[in-house]
Amino acid sequence: MSQPMIEASGVRKSFGALEVLRGVDLVVNRGDVACLIGPSGSGKSTFLRCINHLEQHDAGRLTVDGQLVGYEQRGTALYELNDRQICAERSQIGMVFQRFNLFAHLTALENVTLGPINVRGETPTSARERAMELLRSVGLADKAQNYPSQLSGGQQQRVAIARALAMEPKLMLFDEPTSALDPELVGEVLDAMKQLALNGMTMVVVTHEMGFAREVANQLFFLDEGVVQESGHPRDVLVNPKTDRLSNFLSKVL
Amino acid sequence: MQTNGDEPLKVVPVRHFSRWLAAVVVGILVAMTAHTLVSRIPTGEQICRTVVDGAGHHVRRCHEALQWRFSWDVVGRYLADFNIIKGLGMTLVLTVLTMVIGITLGALVAIMRLSSSRLLSGPAWLFTWFFRGTPVYVQLLFWFNIAAIFPTLDIGIPFGPAVWHIDAVNLFTPFTAALVALGLNEGAYMSEIVRGGIVAVDEGQVEAANSLGLTRFQTLKLVVLPQAMRVIIPPTGNEVISMLKTSSLASAVAVVEVLKAAQNIYSATYEVIPLLIVASLWYLLVTTILSIGQYYVERHFSKGSLRTVPLTPRQRLARDIQGVAGKFRTQRGVRV
Ligand SMILES: Nc1ncnc2c1ncn2[C@@H]1O[C@H](COP(=O)(O)OP(=O)(O)O)[C@@H](O)[C@H]1O
Ligand SMILES: [Mg+2]
Repeated sequence: MSQPMIEASGVRKSFGALEVLRGVDLVVNRGDVACLIGPSGSGKSTFLRCINHLEQHDAGRLTVDGQLVGYEQRGTALYELNDRQICAERSQIGMVFQRFNLFAHLTALENVTLGPINVRGETPTSARERAMELLRSVGLADKAQNYPSQLSGGQQQRVAIARALAMEPKLMLFDEPTSALDPELVGEVLDAMKQLALNGMTMVVVTHEMGFAREVANQLFFLDEGVVQESGHPRDVLVNPKTDRLSNFLSKVL
Repeated sequence: MQTNGDEPLKVVPVRHFSRWLAAVVVGILVAMTAHTLVSRIPTGEQICRTVVDGAGHHVRRCHEALQWRFSWDVVGRYLADFNIIKGLGMTLVLTVLTMVIGITLGALVAIMRLSSSRLLSGPAWLFTWFFRGTPVYVQLLFWFNIAAIFPTLDIGIPFGPAVWHIDAVNLFTPFTAALVALGLNEGAYMSEIVRGGIVAVDEGQVEAANSLGLTRFQTLKLVVLPQAMRVIIPPTGNEVISMLKTSSLASAVAVVEVLKAAQNIYSATYEVIPLLIVASLWYLLVTTILSIGQYYVERHFSKGSLRTVPLTPRQRLARDIQGVAGKFRTQRGVRV
């Protein structure tokens, strides 16, 4: 078996006195679609943000593709990475946010080309070509010249997915990508994500869409009180929850 | 339209009596002002001439000489005076240079202020506190007189040997003193404006940029500042216009800008009011041009934040004319 894409053991994170992550253990393999579920405030976003170092975890071991996040191990010492190295790590991990976070001053096309041109050093021409290709694949070729404020939520989120994919990431993180959408727009975003999963992308998805979890994911993690309480294949976990916490939670969201 | 069965109902517009009253009052005030502007006053001299009356006698007829209350003839004479224009040039140079210093310094201080390092944010706060907290006029006099406490200025290794030294008297000419004083003061104000703009940008934008792997500097340059501009530009336009006028303080340290140029003339001719009007007219003209420029710059930076970019005044005029023409045509029963 090849190296796991994400390996977390005993990951801890506090904000001041509030301990949000209290030793998260999980493994996500290459090509997995892992869903992370749990009550609000259980630390799902925090854990996701630790994976691409938007937050720095305090303790435990967290690796992406065999590399420690934010540190380099030489012998028995850990060396903190400098800004440039952290940026290089991040550029290989795509992230999609609940509130889209498209760059408001750039068109859809410019949103998608910003990373490739400035981080990967692509020429504007080739970046634009690839961006158009990606926008076409999420069904938005005709919206390339629109500014985010001129797009619906579902369209914005699909542009955000295209923007992340333009960096050709090895891993995609989704933080409640459909929670800010009107119900009738949820489907189009989930479809785009489904397509991505079919193409073999490794994905970690924080979501309350149990339908998506059941249909697309092959791994489910239930996070509560800062630890992974239950994990396994969604078919098993969702049907036969072993803990009261999970059955309580499921009775609320299903 | 509301209808009563088949008959369309007559619409009676609201009558705005108070609006009419206000318009009449304002109209009277405007007329009085206009009248004062073109009024004439006696000079105190008599103009006399001798005429032949009906009986063939030579008679002396006199009347009082009149002149414009605001000496418009004198204003006209000096408006394009060489020294005034030269002074205006100095005013513009001072405004542009101090704003360049102010904006650069302001951006730098704002970024320092927002740094998580106290070593950077502390001094930035101190800078703003000091230069906003003391009158710009005092700062101007201070820099003009600085040579008194720093007779020479050494440039070299800090606390070590000097590599290069100059006499402060030569460095702090009236012009450089004005530049430094106005520039530093403006930097303090601009830093608050820039900081406000940066803070107004949603945090999610920075996170999205970071998640793409953009460096901190790239994030600032490509994502944060362009969006902050929308918030920064309008007050900066006001600062430019304000600086245009504040630069007149430099006349106090003998920089010959437009006000000083006017003063130089009236100290010889005693035509104080007309020359102050000359200077004011130039300030008004430049302010007007700057305001028009500000409108277009703001429009440029509103890209993306508004669903539709506002029309330029010309486009608006064209639309209004078309609208009126359209109404006119439909009224005459022509389909448009
Ligand atoms: N930057 C922060 N500073 C302080 N507290 C935070 C911060 N980010 C998150 N938290 C707190 O951590 C807890 C977990 O947050 P989060 O990871 O967003 O939960 P979830 O995504 O599961 O709803 C919450 O109580 C939240 O208030
Ligand atoms: Mg969350």
